[in-house]
Amino acid sequence: MDYILAGIQEAFVLLLSGDEEVYTAVFATLKVSSMSIFFTLVIGLPTGFLLGYTNFPGKNFVRSVVDALLALPTVVVGLWVYAFISSRGPLGNLNLLFTLPGVAIGEVVLALPIVIALSAQAIEELDLSVKDTLLTLGAAGRKLALDILWEGRYGMLMAAVTAYGRIISEVGVATMLGGNIKWRTRTITTAMAFETNKGQFAMGMALGFILLLIAFIVNGTLSFAKRMRQSR
Amino acid sequence: MLYELKNIKRYYNGRCALSINHLAIEGGQIYALVGPNGSGKTTLLRILAFLDEPTMGEVFYNGSLVAPKMMPFLRREVTMLLQDSRLLTRKVKDNVAYGLKLRGMDPLSMKHRVNEALEMVGLSPKEFANRKWYELSGGEAQRVALASRLVLRPKVLLLDEPTANVDAVSESLINDAVVRAKEEWKTTIIVVSHNLLWLYSVADEVLTLWGGRIIQQGPENIIPGPWKKLETGLYCKTLRDGQKIFVSGEPSESKVISISPSEILLASHGEKSSARNVLRGFVTQMTYHNGDQVRVHVSVGDITLVAFLTKDAVMDLNLHPGMDIYVIFKASAAKWL
Repeated sequence: MDYILAGIQEAFVLLLSGDEEVYTAVFATLKVSSMSIFFTLVIGLPTGFLLGYTNFPGKNFVRSVVDALLALPTVVVGLWVYAFISSRGPLGNLNLLFTLPGVAIGEVVLALPIVIALSAQAIEELDLSVKDTLLTLGAAGRKLALDILWEGRYGMLMAAVTAYGRIISEVGVATMLGGNIKWRTRTITTAMAFETNKGQFAMGMALGFILLLIAFIVNGTLSFAKRMRQSR
Repeated sequence: MLYELKNIKRYYNGRCALSINHLAIEGGQIYALVGPNGSGKTTLLRILAFLDEPTMGEVFYNGSLVAPKMMPFLRREVTMLLQDSRLLTRKVKDNVAYGLKLRGMDPLSMKHRVNEALEMVGLSPKEFANRKWYELSGGEAQRVALASRLVLRPKVLLLDEPTANVDAVSESLINDAVVRAKEEWKTTIIVVSHNLLWLYSVADEVLTLWGGRIIQQGPENIIPGPWKKLETGLYCKTLRDGQKIFVSGEPSESKVISISPSEILLASHGEKSSARNVLRGFVTQMTYHNGDQVRVHVSVGDITLVAFLTKDAVMDLNLHPGMDIYVIFKASAAKWL
């Protein structure tokens, strides 16, 4: 028990003293997660909206595939993206392996099904009555589509926050594609795994506190989105 | 003529939900749609609101055949309050102003119109305009939804059970606002409501639907149950003042009967009659109907019955509002809906 208490104490010292190693990992995490969530949302939200809003032959099949991809193992994503961006892969000349943009690609692949599936579901769950309500008030065409999107905004926010939660806590892709290179691609999660293995318990604890703080913020936002959505 | 429907059929998954050979709807009137669940009322409302197209047949609006590409434009003057109407996830004033913004109204006139519509449904603009959509009771939310339609001063307002899930105060305010829309803007109202007594008291025309077909067009006396079966085979309903109504036939699932006003006679004395029903009441309202007839509303117990009389008959009986009168009809005059 003493070593846990000592670890916690030392963790606070590291955090409050602005330890460079800790904060480099934190900034790397924030940088890569921001990149990942940005591209995930840019691609995922319009795709999810279209999937939920439109009807086309094979829609159910596409939904099933997207839903199946929700359970995509991170190491499988890591492996496939590794194959594409390694020097022998089709994107090898871009030199993305063991860089933060390389990690971001893997995390986008991981988070995209979450954003697509949840935002499509959010639009579908608005059900016909919202569309009919807008129609009866005179909305049509692009305005109708944009207002349905607006009415589904809390569902969309839930999709974004859930995806961010997945990205920020992810370790498999970050390790395989980032390589856990100190001062460069080491993120909170990879650093925690690595430092704990080395016996640097305090460092792991300090990073863990920051990760928990981010998780609380993410969950708080998620709860807000849920409440607003249920208040419809 | 505002609407004309010709040979309309609407199928859902191979089942015919609506089949109307011909229906004409005049502007500036209140039409009531009555009939049991699944009789096609909502399907008809959706077609009239240009939310849905018939599978086959023709809909004429203002004399023009309605093509699908015209529907978004027509929805600018025809609006509908849905049975499960939703508020948009924004403030009350933004909900009410939504349709006006779409129509490009300037902010100053818009504010005035929003306040007017809120007051029309009994909501103080000062108290409610800035409330969020989740800060309202069910009745208040429904009144805001109605205000969002009334603010448009629509040419046609279609209402699908507007008071189904609201408190008594909201119900009364909604009903009053609907009648005011007709009176102030000559809005044509087409309404489905469980409140048959209100519906009947305000409707100029009643369309009775059954199995997707219009089985009767014209004002009807609608009397809900409960009905008690008697040993004689007749069914009996006891009114609040103790008088009884007797009807024959077998009850339908809805346990509601309709009696055509033409089947009802009025007499100044309750003399012996071959008719099973002789009920005591008093005249509440008299209006002209189709020029040569007078529509007489008679309050009997807790219901109102309507009869059509010629002008001569009104003169003979010296009929006037407040006068005690006897309502006479046969047990077989009632139809189970």
